[in-house]
Amino acid sequence: MSFADDLLEQADHLANWPPEKPKQASRRRAVSTAYYAVFHLLIDEAVNNWAVERQRSVLGRTIDHIGIKEKCADLLKRAKSDPDMPAELISVAQLFIKLREHRSLADYDNSKRWSIADVEAVLEAAQRAFADWRTIRTQPAAEDFLMQLLFPKNPRT
Amino acid sequence: MLSLPLALPSKTEFDQAVSEVVPEMAPDVVHIRHNIAQDWDGDWAIYFRVLLSDEALTKLGEVTSKVESLLDRRLDPLSMGLFSYFNYRTVSEQADLREESWN
Repeated sequence: MSFADDLLEQADHLANWPPEKPKQASRRRAVSTAYYAVFHLLIDEAVNNWAVERQRSVLGRTIDHIGIKEKCADLLKRAKSDPDMPAELISVAQLFIKLREHRSLADYDNSKRWSIADVEAVLEAAQRAFADWRTIRTQPAAEDFLMQLLFPKNPRT
Repeated sequence: MLSLPLALPSKTEFDQAVSEVVPEMAPDVVHIRHNIAQDWDGDWAIYFRVLLSDEALTKLGEVTSKVESLLDRRLDPLSMGLFSYFNYRTVSEQADLREESWN
């Protein structure tokens, strides 16, 4: 299993700890970890396309969270006029944006109380993101999306 | 950061669109509350608070996928310059947490 898969599994463990009544700390960490699972999934997929293996970890560190959100938002806008955009890729973009907000609240908003339904919904969203990504990861639109994560500046036309 | 929301429908239109979804999702969805605010990154967003029946927890993935899809399609928040975020709790959880914004 990849690091991203391990994070997704860990999110599930955290969500249910302790089993008798999961604490807010566990629920919040579960939400955050679910987001990071998807974050690392996309980073790994992007850098694994880079041929020079020793440079991949450095390359991965150039991708920032807000940059991915912006590229997801761009994709969703383009999808409105692109009937060929894979539905699963649109789903991944939507889910990433949602998961990012949940992660920010889980990590920083001490006023928010996380319900079991909320946490389970976040885990489901992360699992959907993984499944949807793996359905279309080799399609041109997905490959182009990964390239934009690595090179966010739009090319000259 | 997304700029300020584009022309928003009136509150009545918003409430109507949201209220149309509730009977379609009954009895899993009890009610939906919403508000517009800036998200953690400063982008404008609509926040949905979806109150679920206790039984809906057993089929949560199915329910959340459907309600999010319905609301995103009916309202098309992105065309208004809004991201959309969803939070969920069951009737029992709300009875325990008792937060006014969920009533």
